[in-house]
Amino acid sequence: MSRTDLALSASRKRKLRDGAKLLPVIGAFLFLSPIITVFTGPLSLFGLPLIFIYVFGVWLGLVLAARAMARRLESR
Amino acid sequence: MLSLNALIAASLGYALLLFSIAFWAERRARAGRVGWLRSPFVYTLSISVYCTGWTFYGAVGSAARNGFEFVTIYLGPTLVFIGWWWLLRKLLRVGRAQHITSIADLISSRYGKSTTLAVLVTLLAVIGSTPYIALQLQSITLSFSVFESGGNANLTAFWVAAGLAVFTILFGTRNVDANERHHGVVTAIAVEAVVKLLALLSVGVFVVWGIAGGPAEIFAKAPPEMLRGDRIFSARWVSLTMLSAMAVITLPRMFQVIVVENSDEKHLATASWAFPGYLLLMSLFVLPIAIAGNALLPEGSNPDLYVLTLPISQGQDNLALFAFLGGFSSATSMVIIAAIALSTMVSNHIIMPLWLRFSPPRPETSGDVRTILLRSRRLSIAGILLLGYLYFRLTGGSGALASIGLIAFSGMAQIIPSLIGGLFWRGATRTGALLGLLAGFALWAYTLFLPSFEGAFILSQAAIENGPLGLAFLTPNALFGLTGYDPLVHSLFWSMTFNISLFILGSIFSTPRPLERIQSSQFVDVFRLDKATGSYLVSRSATSEDLFTLAQRILGTDPAQRLFSEMARQQGKASGLPDATDELVQTLERELAGSVGAASAHAMVSQIAGGGTVSVGELMKIADETAQIMEYSHQLENQSHRLERTAQELRAANAQLTEMGAQKDAFLSQVSHELRTPMTSIRSFSEILREEDNIELPEAKRFLGIIQEESERLTRLLDEILDLSHLESGRGQLLLEPICLQDAIEKSLTTTSALLEEAGLEVRKTLPENPVIALASFDRLAQVFINLISNAVKYGRGRPPTLEITLEISGEDAIITVADNGPGIAAADRKKVFEKFTRLSEANLAGSAGLGLPISREIMRNLNGDLTLLTSRHGAVFQVRVPLA
Repeated sequence: MSRTDLALSASRKRKLRDGAKLLPVIGAFLFLSPIITVFTGPLSLFGLPLIFIYVFGVWLGLVLAARAMARRLESR
Repeated sequence: MLSLNALIAASLGYALLLFSIAFWAERRARAGRVGWLRSPFVYTLSISVYCTGWTFYGAVGSAARNGFEFVTIYLGPTLVFIGWWWLLRKLLRVGRAQHITSIADLISSRYGKSTTLAVLVTLLAVIGSTPYIALQLQSITLSFSVFESGGNANLTAFWVAAGLAVFTILFGTRNVDANERHHGVVTAIAVEAVVKLLALLSVGVFVVWGIAGGPAEIFAKAPPEMLRGDRIFSARWVSLTMLSAMAVITLPRMFQVIVVENSDEKHLATASWAFPGYLLLMSLFVLPIAIAGNALLPEGSNPDLYVLTLPISQGQDNLALFAFLGGFSSATSMVIIAAIALSTMVSNHIIMPLWLRFSPPRPETSGDVRTILLRSRRLSIAGILLLGYLYFRLTGGSGALASIGLIAFSGMAQIIPSLIGGLFWRGATRTGALLGLLAGFALWAYTLFLPSFEGAFILSQAAIENGPLGLAFLTPNALFGLTGYDPLVHSLFWSMTFNISLFILGSIFSTPRPLERIQSSQFVDVFRLDKATGSYLVSRSATSEDLFTLAQRILGTDPAQRLFSEMARQQGKASGLPDATDELVQTLERELAGSVGAASAHAMVSQIAGGGTVSVGELMKIADETAQIMEYSHQLENQSHRLERTAQELRAANAQLTEMGAQKDAFLSQVSHELRTPMTSIRSFSEILREEDNIELPEAKRFLGIIQEESERLTRLLDEILDLSHLESGRGQLLLEPICLQDAIEKSLTTTSALLEEAGLEVRKTLPENPVIALASFDRLAQVFINLISNAVKYGRGRPPTLEITLEISGEDAIITVADNGPGIAAADRKKVFEKFTRLSEANLAGSAGLGLPISREIMRNLNGDLTLLTSRHGAVFQVRVPLA
């Protein structure tokens, strides 16, 4: 493996770790900041209230992102 | 409608199934075929013990009352698990490295294996969990009462508690493994997790698509205020999320499944997304069920039981039974794991220490202790379930129980500052943790736990409403005048404020013991453990502070100080300790190796950095023993130094003695020579007188004159020798009195006037007119002057011969100078002047034994004065110094 590859892989690994650390921060921001009030309006989508879609959508997004990262972190 | 009998049969059948699964898993694990028993998914499912009966039934109840708020209880754990890289990963690693058995053990271990902290956390865990267990019993009896309203709730609760105790004892105390893993229990819990998830999903699907025509129809029935923004985002929303995030780590049962029961750290990676996914599914249908319940069921129905009552109201008996089993699973799994976790804590930190202290000392085999340990675990499990049952009986299904879940959460959350601080902050100390925990728990009890009894326990109703003794600022729900907040938020704010502040301040203002310092690096630097060797990478994890402590202990304070300040100077630091660089570690290791041997030195230095197999106690013992050995060898060294010195002194003394012996020999030969001369004369003349008959009278008289003269000389010589030895030994204390020096000089001149005249010596006196009074002995001083004058008469033959005598006062002394104008004394002879029997030249008068000057000097020294020979160009100048009166 050449030097560039090593540097690249080290950098990728670090970015992955940074991502794993960043994920809960993003989650906390989306759930625990006033940004949530933006989605509490009386709007609805496919009969579902916007807040319902927002909370469960973000939740699902976090789960999928965590899964992707966990798999990559695990494979190393 | 299901009959109670069918319900009991289903419950018993389900219980039997769980027993068999646990039994089967246990046997499989014992045979070594763990296989999928240890898969990451079983691990994830076991974590779902977080969802208790309270969440299974209560989430819907909460949604029916407060809308979206229920979701916070799941969002907190979600954030913690997707953030596993921050906290959980480290927690697991520490738990594995330190063989942690419970949350109490973790806190205790981090803060120097403190028993006080372990007992404190254990007691609080029991206090917080007992109502929680009672809550589970209540949820089961409530669900029974849905089917059979006339049933005896207490009896049901009792049998449920008894059955759970049997299950827990059977599968929770099979072995006392070092790793405390329970495969049977964990597998049964995983099955229960699947059952409760499927049950809730089934009810949800039935409600959304069975009763209503899809989600849109359900949400159309929702009251508009249920999803209003201000009801969602608030201080309570944030507090509840954070509270559940903290509780998912610190609740005894959660710590048990996440950390203690974990068999492989890699499983956490899967759980990090799968558990949040599980929680997502668990909460997906909560809101629709709540809305449907509110809309369809008659006014006054208990929202906490919508999960059961909705299917029943639609005639879906099988679904209701399934939902019932789901609730049953949630409640029982919580109780089982909580009982195991709590019994471990109670037996490890309370019963065993007490038993070890009070049991009669006798040789114990490990088997004995094992039996005791198992027995104490079993007793603890029974005790904890009994406590839960009694709590349930005493509060009797009051509404107060409903809030107990969150109260327990915030109680156990008080451990968080000490836990997080312990994992990430080296400076956290036992004192800080103890103060923080005590303050946090006290405020939690005062502002939340005690008021929850609504006046029935310790705090009266009046005290809760208006403050104890009417002190308004102490009102539990409005402490220090903080009003307008939800009681939970209010309590969390105050308890955490005091907890965190005291934890930090206590840590800063206290000094950790060595064990604490070592444990702190074991925890904080756990990821620096070298996987291959199991030893820590010393250079980066050791602090120079720790190394300095070690060095001090072994090398001694001063050498350690020198070594470290030298290293600091080399690193370019003006003051303070050097950085813990590789170089420092190596140097220190080398230094220590000099004292304790290389292997021990390396073991010690590595140990200070954490890790290794030597226990800290052993290390300290080694250090102490080494210090003792060092002390001994130091003493030995001192002693040999002393001996060396003594030997040197002895050698010097010996040399002196030899010299003195030689001197004495010389003296004796001199004395005998001096004595022989007159003796020879006396003998020869007396022989002549006796043997010659015809001696003429004048001739005979001349001979007799010589004999007399020689005898007198002999007598004088002997007197002088006696006098000198008397003076030298210091035995003859001279009587000191004020005397006039002029008189003493005149007296000596008078005495020697005949001599002076005979020699034709001219005397010149320079004496002050006023009498000079000195403290001396008149006769002895006169003797000295006579000696000096006769000395001048004998040797000082100038032309014309003169003698100068002067008296002066110098400071507190009188100085008398006696100078002649003779040839003087050669430089080489100066030293010999005061030696005994020295004749300076041949030009002396026969008959002088030469003792005059030594005697004179001895006299002057005995008079606190001195006699010295001054250097001069002409003649001999003697100076007498005598103190004034």
